[in-house]
Amino acid sequence: MDIKKVGIVGGGTMGRGLAEHAADKGYDVVIIDKSPALLHEARAGIELSLQKRQEKWAITEAEKRVILGRIQFSDTLADVSTAGIVVETVTEDLDLKKEIFRSIDQICDRRVVFASNTSTLSITELAASTYRPEKVIGLHFLNPVPKMKLVEIVRGLKTSEETVRLAKDFVASLDKTGVEVYESPGFISSRLIFPLINEAMYALMEGVATAESIDTAMKLGYDMARGPLEMADRIGLDSLLIAMERLWRDYGDLKYRPCPLLRKLVRGGNLGVKTGQGFFKYDKEGDLIRS
Amino acid sequence: MKIFVLNCGSSSVKYQLFEMDNETVLAKGRVERIGMDSATLTHKATGKEEVHQTSSILEHTTAIRKVLAVLTDPKHGVIKNVGEIAAVGHRVVHGGEFFSDSVLITDEVKAAIKSCIDLAPLHNPPNLIGIQAAQELMPGIPHVAAFDTAFHSTMPRRAFLYAIPYVLYRRYRVRRYGFHGTSHKYVSRRAAEVLGRPVDELKIITCHLGNGASIAAIKGGQSIDTSMGFTPLEGLVMGTRSGDLDPGIIPYVMAKEELGMGEVNAMLNKHSGLIGISGVASDMREIEEEMSKGDAKAKDAFDIFTYRVVKYIGAYAAAMNGVDAIVFTAGVGENSPAVRATVCENLKFLGVKLDPEKNEVRGKEADISAPGARVRVLVIPTNEELVIARDTKEIVEKLNIGD
Repeated sequence: MDIKKVGIVGGGTMGRGLAEHAADKGYDVVIIDKSPALLHEARAGIELSLQKRQEKWAITEAEKRVILGRIQFSDTLADVSTAGIVVETVTEDLDLKKEIFRSIDQICDRRVVFASNTSTLSITELAASTYRPEKVIGLHFLNPVPKMKLVEIVRGLKTSEETVRLAKDFVASLDKTGVEVYESPGFISSRLIFPLINEAMYALMEGVATAESIDTAMKLGYDMARGPLEMADRIGLDSLLIAMERLWRDYGDLKYRPCPLLRKLVRGGNLGVKTGQGFFKYDKEGDLIRS
Repeated sequence: MKIFVLNCGSSSVKYQLFEMDNETVLAKGRVERIGMDSATLTHKATGKEEVHQTSSILEHTTAIRKVLAVLTDPKHGVIKNVGEIAAVGHRVVHGGEFFSDSVLITDEVKAAIKSCIDLAPLHNPPNLIGIQAAQELMPGIPHVAAFDTAFHSTMPRRAFLYAIPYVLYRRYRVRRYGFHGTSHKYVSRRAAEVLGRPVDELKIITCHLGNGASIAAIKGGQSIDTSMGFTPLEGLVMGTRSGDLDPGIIPYVMAKEELGMGEVNAMLNKHSGLIGISGVASDMREIEEEMSKGDAKAKDAFDIFTYRVVKYIGAYAAAMNGVDAIVFTAGVGENSPAVRATVCENLKFLGVKLDPEKNEVRGKEADISAPGARVRVLVIPTNEELVIARDTKEIVEKLNIGD
C-alpha cells in the first residue's frame, strides 16, 4: 500500500532523527512516547536539530516550519493506526519491543508493515509476537538519521518478498541507500564497528595513547569522519554497552567482550554526548568541546 | 484555434487557454499545493467571476482533470467540451543541447527531456509528469514543448563555454545554457514592434528582473549572451540567489563552516541574494520600503542589485558593439521605477536618458526614454504563455499542411 504517514514508536535519538528526516522528505509523521514530558523533549530535540540546519543554511525558516508542522506528537499508541508503516525505535530491550509489537498488531490494519530499528535483536523473534510475521522487517538507521545515507534492511525468517520490496521503496524515498542483510546479530555495521570501538577503549585503558590521539589517528589515517571514541560518545555509552553485551552473548566470542573502561564510565553516569561527558566533553548542542 | 498552455511545477500547475484566431485569453488559472489534501484551484474566465476551489489533489493528472472540468463547466467554463482544444503547449525548463526551438512532443522528445533531468532536477521531472498527464487526458491532439533554454541556443561558443577543463564540457555538457528564453524572445520581438524597426537590425538588451533574474544580449534577433549559465544561479543578484561570485569562496566557506554539498547549494540558492544581504526580504518591494525607512542593509541590497544590472548592461553593450534599446520586464522590471531609474542613471554615457514622468509606469507597456535619447528604454510586460501558444499554433499549422 501507498505510504503517506509514518508511525514512530519511541521519541529517543533515533526516533527524533527519523521523524525529522521523514517529515523533511514529505511524509506525515506521528511520533509516540510514554509521557508529555518525553514528547516535549523529543520536540525540543527536533527543533534544535532543524535550528542548527537552518543556521548552516541547509533549510529556510519556512521549510523548518513545514517540516515541524508535519510531525504529530502523541502519548497514545493507538494514534499509529493511521500510519502506512510503523517503525519502532525504543531502547534495545527485547521484552519492551515485543510488547510494543503485540500492541500495534492489535491497532493497525492488517496490511501495515512493522519495522524495528534494532541493531542487535532478532527480527524473527520480534515478528513472532505478532500475527503478521511476514510483514515485520528490520530497518536499521544510523545516527544521525538525516545525515547517514545507510539503512540496513534486515529480513527475519518469515519476512515476505513484498515486505522487503516495500521497505526498499520506503528507504529509497527517504533518499537513503539500503543494503539487504539476513538476520544475524549486529548485521554488518554494528558487527564490524563495535569491535573497533572496543579496541580503541582497550588502547586508551592500557595507556597506549590519549583519547585525542586515538581518534586523530583513525580519522586521518583511515579517512573517517569521526574517531571511534567520539563515535562511542555519540551512540551513547549505555546503549553501546547493552548492544555489545548482546553481541557477546549471541556469538559467545571474546572479541565482543565489552572493555572494562566502558562499564566504568557507564556506572559513573558518563554516557557520552547525552550527558555532556564521555571520552570527550560536549556542549548542550552536542558539539565537541575541543580542549 | 484554441490552444491550451500548461506550466507544471513540482506542486503547481499554471494554465491559460487562448483563442489564437485573435490571440485572446479565454481563461487562466493555477492549481497550487498539489500533493496535499488542501490543494487550491484558482480559475478566471475572461469576463466571469474568479473561482476558488479547495480539495484533495494528490497528483498532476487529477489537477489537470480538475482544470479541464472547470474549463468545460457550464457556469465558469469557456468551452463546451475538451474536444475544442486543438493543441497543448507545455513549458519545459531545460532542453539541454537538443532543442533550439519548440517541438512537437514525440517519444524521442520525451526521452531527450528525460535525459536533461540531471541539468534541471527540480524542474524537468514535473514538466515531464505534466506532459504525460495531459497526453493521457487529451489524446489524439498535438502536444508541443517550449523550452526556457531554446532561445539561447544561438549563443556562440565563446559565450557558452566556461574556461574550465574542456573535458567537463565533453563529458557532462557543462556550459552556459541560459534561462527565461521565452521571455527574452517575446520582449525583444515586441520591442522591435514598438520601435517600428525589424528585429534583425537591432541590438537589444533585455532585463528579465523577477524573483529569478537574467539579462540577455540580443543582436539581430538572436541571443548572443545571457547572464544565467549552467544553472539559474549565475549572473544577477536575485531574491534568494547569489548570482555571480568568486568560485573560490565556495570551498573556503565549506571548510570554515563545515558545510556539505546540499548545504552550500541551499545557501547560494535560498539564503543569498536580496534576502542574504538585507536579512529582511527577498522581495524588491519590501526592500524599497525598508530602504525608505532608513534600513542600511536594505540599501546595500538595492545598491548591489542595481549595480550588477548596470555592469551587465555595460558588458553586453560592449559585446554587441552598441545598443539600440534596453527592455525591462518581469515583476521588478515592470513595476519598480526606482530600480529602472537607478540603473539608467549610470548609463548616460551610452546615450540612455529616462523621462522621469514616463518612468513612473507600472505593469504596462511604455517607452520611458526622454525625447531624442540615443538608446530607447522600454517597459514591456512579458508574456511567456503567449509565445508558447504561438509556437504551438505554428507547429500545428505545419502539421496540417503536411496532412
